[in-house]
Amino acid sequence: MGTEGSQVQSLPGMQVHPLKKNLYEVAIGPAHPGSGHMRILVRVEGDVMVEVDPDIGFVHRTMEKLSEGRDWMKNIPLFERMAILDACNVTLPYVEAVEKLLDVDPPERAKYLRTLLCEINRVASHLYGFGIFGVFLGHSTLYMWAFGDREVFVELAERLTGARLTHTYPMFGGVRRDMPDDFGQHVRKAAAYMRRRLDEYAKIFLLNPNIRSRLEGVGVVSKSRAVELGLAGPNVRASGVRYDVRLAEPYEAYDRVDFEIPIYEEGDSLARAWQRVEEIKQSLSIMEQAVDWLEKHPREGFVHEKFWKTAPPIYKKVYAGEVPYAGKYRVKMIPLYASLKVPAGRSFARTESAHGEITYYVESDGKDVPYRVRLVSGSYRNVIAFKYVMPGHRLADLPAIYGSFDYFPPEWDR
Amino acid sequence: MVDMVTPYEIGHGILRYIIFYPPVYQFVIIPGLIAALVVAIFIIWFERKAAARVQMRYGPYEISPRTGGATQLIADLIRYSFQEIIVPRTVDAVIYFAAPVAAVILSLLPLDAMPLTTNPAFWPIPMDYSLLLAVALMTLSPIFVMAMAWASNNKFSVIGGVRESFIVTAYELVAVLSMLSVAAAMSTYNLVDIVQAQSSGLWFGLLDPLAFLTAFIATLMTTSGFPFEIPDSESEIVAGPYTEYTGLMYGLDMGAAYIKRWVFSVLMALIFLGGWAPYVPGPGFVLGYLVPSLIVSVKALVIMAIMSFLRAVYGRYRIDQALGIGWEILVPLALAAIGIGFAEAYFHVYAYMGVMALAS
Amino acid sequence: MPAKIEVKESPKRGILGRIISGNVGALVLGVKYFLDPNRFTLMYPHEYIKLNTGYRGFIVLIYDKCIGCGSCARICPTRAMRMLFLPQKEGERAKKKYPVINYNRCIFCGYCVDICPTEALYHVPYHDIVYYNMNDLILTLDEFQKEPEYATAKEGIPVRYIFDERRGLVKVKAQEPPQGPESGAAPTASPAPAPQQAQAAQKQGESTSKPSEGGGSA
Repeated sequence: MGTEGSQVQSLPGMQVHPLKKNLYEVAIGPAHPGSGHMRILVRVEGDVMVEVDPDIGFVHRTMEKLSEGRDWMKNIPLFERMAILDACNVTLPYVEAVEKLLDVDPPERAKYLRTLLCEINRVASHLYGFGIFGVFLGHSTLYMWAFGDREVFVELAERLTGARLTHTYPMFGGVRRDMPDDFGQHVRKAAAYMRRRLDEYAKIFLLNPNIRSRLEGVGVVSKSRAVELGLAGPNVRASGVRYDVRLAEPYEAYDRVDFEIPIYEEGDSLARAWQRVEEIKQSLSIMEQAVDWLEKHPREGFVHEKFWKTAPPIYKKVYAGEVPYAGKYRVKMIPLYASLKVPAGRSFARTESAHGEITYYVESDGKDVPYRVRLVSGSYRNVIAFKYVMPGHRLADLPAIYGSFDYFPPEWDR
Repeated sequence: MVDMVTPYEIGHGILRYIIFYPPVYQFVIIPGLIAALVVAIFIIWFERKAAARVQMRYGPYEISPRTGGATQLIADLIRYSFQEIIVPRTVDAVIYFAAPVAAVILSLLPLDAMPLTTNPAFWPIPMDYSLLLAVALMTLSPIFVMAMAWASNNKFSVIGGVRESFIVTAYELVAVLSMLSVAAAMSTYNLVDIVQAQSSGLWFGLLDPLAFLTAFIATLMTTSGFPFEIPDSESEIVAGPYTEYTGLMYGLDMGAAYIKRWVFSVLMALIFLGGWAPYVPGPGFVLGYLVPSLIVSVKALVIMAIMSFLRAVYGRYRIDQALGIGWEILVPLALAAIGIGFAEAYFHVYAYMGVMALAS
Repeated sequence: MPAKIEVKESPKRGILGRIISGNVGALVLGVKYFLDPNRFTLMYPHEYIKLNTGYRGFIVLIYDKCIGCGSCARICPTRAMRMLFLPQKEGERAKKKYPVINYNRCIFCGYCVDICPTEALYHVPYHDIVYYNMNDLILTLDEFQKEPEYATAKEGIPVRYIFDERRGLVKVKAQEPPQGPESGAAPTASPAPAPQQAQAAQKQGESTSKPSEGGGSA
């Protein structure tokens, strides 16, 4: 490894850092059981970390550039692959931004359906985060439990949208499928099950003195520091900052459902873990309310009139389930979607995904491909915390802090 | 020493002097190398199945559905045997190969200080100070884990080796103190007398549970059992001292950890769970040696099974937290256990059967 | 009713009570699950999930309904569908364009099925088909009209997952046809008669006029 005074060839763009004498460099690299899709260069002095440098970009797929060559509708599956866990949350701002340009406001039922899927995805994503958190701390039981229980929610999403993970559910003007007939009872059963399981997670993980001593007081991010670093999502709410996009700028049906936003003041890893637990509980309550509304109201208004009034009668037959091989409650697209031209303009939309706030800027110049799409995801804002929060802790705290921030590398790398 | 073995008991020649010769028999067969490997195979299977039951899954299954995947470990062993042993160029070759072997041999050595029967014909060494010898021999092997880490020439191994050395300072005193508390209670270092004193059902584990608990936790600390799986913690330092080992060498390393756990469990079964207690060893080889050793093995297996089950409940401690627990909590508890032992001796709890005939 | 902020605190108890009760709680929970495990693992391929009709699996074309408009190929996000001038049978002249699909690229998003104005494409409810080489994944017009052969169904037992309050998901054997909604199975799970049979029945029965009107009445 290059150290000071050695003959190191200087190639363009290469940076040579002379290593200080008593620092030991450990590369928690991409091929490491505890690193995810990134490399963390850690310099330790004894057991205490002095410098932490996240080296990210391993999963870069040039999504923003690719989107400039694809039609408007084709970009939805593209952006969904950024964070497949909460597929609805990461594609929803794009759909909302383009709907603002198209001057189309989706009807009520579509908004509730989108909210329902957003919350299902949020629960599934938080459970995934818990699983990874558990396995970083050596607690394989929480890992298996979180992924096993996540299966319940993936099954729910599959009943609703037809695919387990890559839902591609919102489309311009509405949604692609309506809720099946007995979906309400499934959601209630799943919610009751999950509430009981959250108590068990607390008993075996969060109140377990073993894990608790590893999390309490570790990775403390004070309120001012969180604001200064620009963190987002549950991490910043666990440090006492009262910010949530669903509160600041309610979108979809969030201004009509009753839910609380939990805030924790301590700012350590334990508070972030409890924050996610509380958010799952709130998501379950939102899901139940959305399903109640959807069951009570008639099945109309799943897609905007502009995209439905030119539909041939077969579309209504497919929706009603009268075509036997075509399923039920499927909203067909009119061929306009294949050659959609969005009027010129710029728009901006954001939602609260499970990892943080996700923001899209969409610019169009009247053609059938976007001119520019720029997106900033929650993990994009959170990764800077590794550099500033971790130094001063011991090497064994690195997985604890990493897991508590719930950083998802493909979401940063796009 | 009088020739204690009558010829018709264990045969002549090679049988008598090599295979069934008690020091060799205890080192190699039961409860030695072969029994330890069989137990390791069983206990790893049990660990995977028990953890799977708690964790909403099945564990090893597909390979033999009717027996619940019991042959999975045999398949893994065969796989390890045929896997290529990749030796990196930068390792220190002699220590790299010698350290795991030495670790296994030294881990098995305390078995030669443990009796498995009351018949003097089948004692490997004279049993007067056997408890002291067994506990002393158990402290020999950690240095070779550190040698493995040093010879591997890999940053993660070095960090793992350093953690192993820290852990040794934490648990060693606790293990010695808690295992010796039985000597305080019964005023003897002779393991045979200790087991005999428990034959009326007064297991020492029930009379001094504090000693049992601290010895149990010390065993967990020394053999990387959860929650103290610190030297080879997977998500932080890949595999610790064992990172650069592949194939059969890796199997040997994992085997060394389980063998050490087995040896500690046998000693704990003798001290705390009464050894071969309800059974009175008869004459002859089968009734006098084989059956008591199997009873002790079963008790040791129960202790190991409980340790394996803890994998499903606990995560991993940090190294400084483990050291804190060792010195701040466990050493006072172990001293209290010795105090309880002295109290029991004062109240003559074990005073019968000539146990009090200490070499005064 | 907008959201409310609610400040919470991590649960705290006294030091000694926390350690002892925490350990005991975790151990008791572990023993409880050791004695009564909750497992819903799918033993694939001995069992397989019989998915509902709405599942987005492989795509099949109904030749008679296709009008060659090309919307499916235009909307496909990965350009897996292409329109080619192909005859239905050898020796005939190609009259219109028909879609063919390249499964190397297909992401099963279902856009093509949703946009087809005559409902000429449909999903089959399975997705685990394997091929031996990559060229087989590019289907010809003939292969596109047939439902892929589902090898797992020949050897495995079909199961279905039901939601349950106590256990999350419960695996039950799938029956043909399933019971009513009381069993908790999804309503779209009725194994619809395959469109080939529906088409054959149609041809034997009354003749169809225009494809857009004769939309699959059974």
